Amino acid sequence: MAGLARLRRWLRPPRRLRILRPGWALILGTFGVGFATLNTGNNLLYLLLGTLLGVIGVSGWLSERAITGLEVHRRLPRAATAGEPARLVYTVRKRTGRLASAALELREAGHTGGAVVPFVAPGQEVTVRHLATWERRGIVRLEHLVVATAFPFGLFAKERDVQLPGTLVVWPRTDRAVAWPRAAAARGAATRPAPARMATAARGEFRGLRAYRPGDDPRDVHWPSTARAGEPMVREHDPEGGEGRWIVLDVDARPGERAEAALEVAAALAAGAARRGERFGLAAGTARLTPAAGQGQLERALDLLAAVRFRPGAGPPRPPARPERCLLVSVRGGPPGPWADHLGP
Amino acid sequence: MKLAELHGRLATLLSLAALLAFVSGAGLDAPASLPVLALLLLAAVRPPAERLARRFEALWRILAVVLMVRAAYFVLFVPEDVVLPMVDLLLVLLAAEALRRHDVAGHARVYALSFALLLAAAAYRPSVLFAVAFVAYVVLATLTLTVGHLTRAGAGGTRVPRRYLAHWAASSGFVLLGALVVFAAFPRVSRGWVSRSAPPARSVVGFGDRVSLGEHGATLEPDPAVVLRVEFPDGAPGLPSSLYWRGRSYDRFDGIVWSRTPRAGIDRGPPVPPAGADPVRQTVYAAPLEVPVLFGLHPVLVMEARSRIRAFREPNGDWRYAGGAAPVYDVVSAGGPPDPERLRMATAASPPGGPAYVQLPPLSGRVRELADSLTAGAGTDYDRALAVQRWLRRDFAYTLELPATARQATLEYFLFERRAGHCEYFSTAMAVLLRAVGLPTRNVNGFLGGEWNTLGGYLLVDQNRAHSWVEVWFEGVGWVPFDPTPAGAGLAAGGSRGWFGPLRFVMDGLEHRWGKWVLDYDLERQLEVARRAGDAFSRAPRAPGSGAPPGPPPWLILGGLLAVAAGAVLLRALLGRRDPPGGPARAYVRLRRAYERAGYPAAERSPPLAFVGALRTLDAPGREAAERAVRRYAAARFGLAELDEAGRRALAADVAEARSALRRARARTTAR
Repeated sequence: MAGLARLRRWLRPPRRLRILRPGWALILGTFGVGFATLNTGNNLLYLLLGTLLGVIGVSGWLSERAITGLEVHRRLPRAATAGEPARLVYTVRKRTGRLASAALELREAGHTGGAVVPFVAPGQEVTVRHLATWERRGIVRLEHLVVATAFPFGLFAKERDVQLPGTLVVWPRTDRAVAWPRAAAARGAATRPAPARMATAARGEFRGLRAYRPGDDPRDVHWPSTARAGEPMVREHDPEGGEGRWIVLDVDARPGERAEAALEVAAALAAGAARRGERFGLAAGTARLTPAAGQGQLERALDLLAAVRFRPGAGPPRPPARPERCLLVSVRGGPPGPWADHLGP
Repeated sequence: MKLAELHGRLATLLSLAALLAFVSGAGLDAPASLPVLALLLLAAVRPPAERLARRFEALWRILAVVLMVRAAYFVLFVPEDVVLPMVDLLLVLLAAEALRRHDVAGHARVYALSFALLLAAAAYRPSVLFAVAFVAYVVLATLTLTVGHLTRAGAGGTRVPRRYLAHWAASSGFVLLGALVVFAAFPRVSRGWVSRSAPPARSVVGFGDRVSLGEHGATLEPDPAVVLRVEFPDGAPGLPSSLYWRGRSYDRFDGIVWSRTPRAGIDRGPPVPPAGADPVRQTVYAAPLEVPVLFGLHPVLVMEARSRIRAFREPNGDWRYAGGAAPVYDVVSAGGPPDPERLRMATAASPPGGPAYVQLPPLSGRVRELADSLTAGAGTDYDRALAVQRWLRRDFAYTLELPATARQATLEYFLFERRAGHCEYFSTAMAVLLRAVGLPTRNVNGFLGGEWNTLGGYLLVDQNRAHSWVEVWFEGVGWVPFDPTPAGAGLAAGGSRGWFGPLRFVMDGLEHRWGKWVLDYDLERQLEVARRAGDAFSRAPRAPGSGAPPGPPPWLILGGLLAVAAGAVLLRALLGRRDPPGGPARAYVRLRRAYERAGYPAAERSPPLAFVGALRTLDAPGREAAERAVRRYAAARFGLAELDEAGRRALAADVAEARSALRRARARTTAR
């Protein structure tokens, strides 16, 4: 497979050329002048015909100079959310050549819009930003960047690919209107809704210290330990009166809109719990995220959900904790085996 | 300057270059040319404000509709005059675009209209000015298209360093190179399946079917327009002033008008060249005349067209052509004058064409008496002709003043009263006097002599050299020319005297090369270029004398240098402006230059205040004003105070005062 991909890459033309509307006009004009030239034998028309051909030639040469000798770096955001714009930052440096590059467009392969670099002189570095949107969640492998230009005359668009591998995690949407089911709470989940903002003293029982993870509340930083360890350390608490609940996503489903909708429901539940400061865990297939609270936990949950693959026939999920502490999100018609006793028909 | 603003100016300059190219061919014939030229210049210097441009919008529309209707009228009802109305419309649209604030579509319109104007110029036979305009157009078009594209791509507010603008402008060199390669190498196999319109012909009096003698009440005005450029591949024959470029002959004279009898003469083929004389080869580049006549040294043996014309010989031996191109042709003429002894042996009887050449208008007896008395002592026909020629040359005067009245415009008044006239009177007088004694003669019009253009290596014949002479028939020899006009009379009034002369030769040399290598470039020239290129790259150089020397022709080098210089000037004008006109830096530079020119060599790179100190030490005239000006400049330059409009005016006034003091001081020194 790798050999095939290499072969495909090798067979791909190094440049792609597209004729724009002014380009078509120029080509038609050139044919017209050529026809008139041959018909009349007017020497000045030969000169003008040569000029038009010269313009086409110089256009090709200057556009080639514009898209070569460039060093491009891409800075990706921590993650993007499906359907929402994510900011990509590109740094372009004209490394070689004496001619400046201008009117460049940097576009992710498969995307339509891109960042525009108006002008970059030799040796100069320019940073540009672009808002790109991915419609579906997942782990997006970015292979190459398309550097395109219609420079210098706007007649032809020339493109080349720049190998720039990268990975972007696209989180599922979390804006589905989902209410935490009361039934589960009534069946014995001993959690009480926590206030949205909790004072440090009201965060429940102190459990221990651990290293800081992105997304942790800065108020939880334990400064003496941080000073001793030389790295940020945070306090962990068990919210008062609970071990937290589990959101369980049933991955035994056919990939498609329904499955994605279920996944987005799970993401919305996680986001809601994080907003309320509740501890929650997540189970999807074999992946487990132990219960915790806070923004960091939500990001980890979304990372996990972004990578979920639905596998029909995978079997019903096993409850990671007592079923009454779990919240199952499934597209099945009825409750799967291990859950039947608790959820009823 | 921001790119969007720069694009506006460039587009205007582009339109100007296209207009210049058009004017190089059609002149200012199109009524809209001059107003549009003025508008474009105005727009280039000071682009109109948006509000003003919007106000003019309605006016342009009305004007465009009117001109469109006019053009349509000409297309439908006056097809032969269709070009100028169309060009007028084109010019007005172009001016409207130049004065309009451009959107994207506006950009495309300016490009298309200016190129259309360039195409229209190609339909004429433009002068060498077209080359200058064309180079400027290509440089400007390259830069305008680039800047326009960047503006459209959202970089209109960007300021691009001048260096890179210069790079983009320089890339037009490749466009020019491409144009040159296509022009030089594209095979000229086309003979024009769709014949193009003939180049505009020049009106020259004296070569129509009738030539009138009776004009009066004026002076013949000199006309320096070039009609022939002649190259001699085997070297020039003798003095240029003795060369008679024969054009048309006239056999019938009614007392006032010379005309041509249809089918006069019987074509006996080209004359036999005199034994021992080398034929003279000429390559003639003629301006298209209203009457399609071909000129050559008498007697013409062979005439072959080089351009897309067809040369043919009339029964009376005149040469004409058919075709729409400017005539370029090779001529082979018999060299050397006929032997006088042979002419004395020959008789002037029975010319081909019979009595047409001895026809006479009603004449008074004293003309016949005069003819008899002049030829009484001559023993042969040749001596009779010489006697009449000698008498006219000796006893008559040449003048460009035409007779005052119709009565004074007659031949008899010339012969017996006025005894002065222009060449047609002399030739007519000689022809009539010889016919009166029975010698077959005809009146011939053409050009006499020419000026040798040493820079171009060709003979230049202008319209001032139009001339008239006589041919006398001698059996066994043919038509022999005689010129009764006093030698040197008025004919050398060429336009190449005085300080303008050398410049005229240079310009005409360029014009000739332009015509030869560009306008009339053909398959033969292509082969010549290929041969030269082959020689240039060949290891074994061509043997001396076996052809043209290798390497590019000097005109090409000169043209290239001129193009580079023009490009540099253009770039400097475009990009070199660091300070607006009237800005403090310009005023300061002007001031320093004035003092340097006046002999106050303040150290070139000395700072402004040191310059002021030097002026004070030397007690230079106008130093107080200069000091004030420098202090104002320094304050503005180094950010101490912003120079407002009043400050600028004060600075300009100080500089003017200092320069005026310098001039006064210089005038005093000169007076002493």
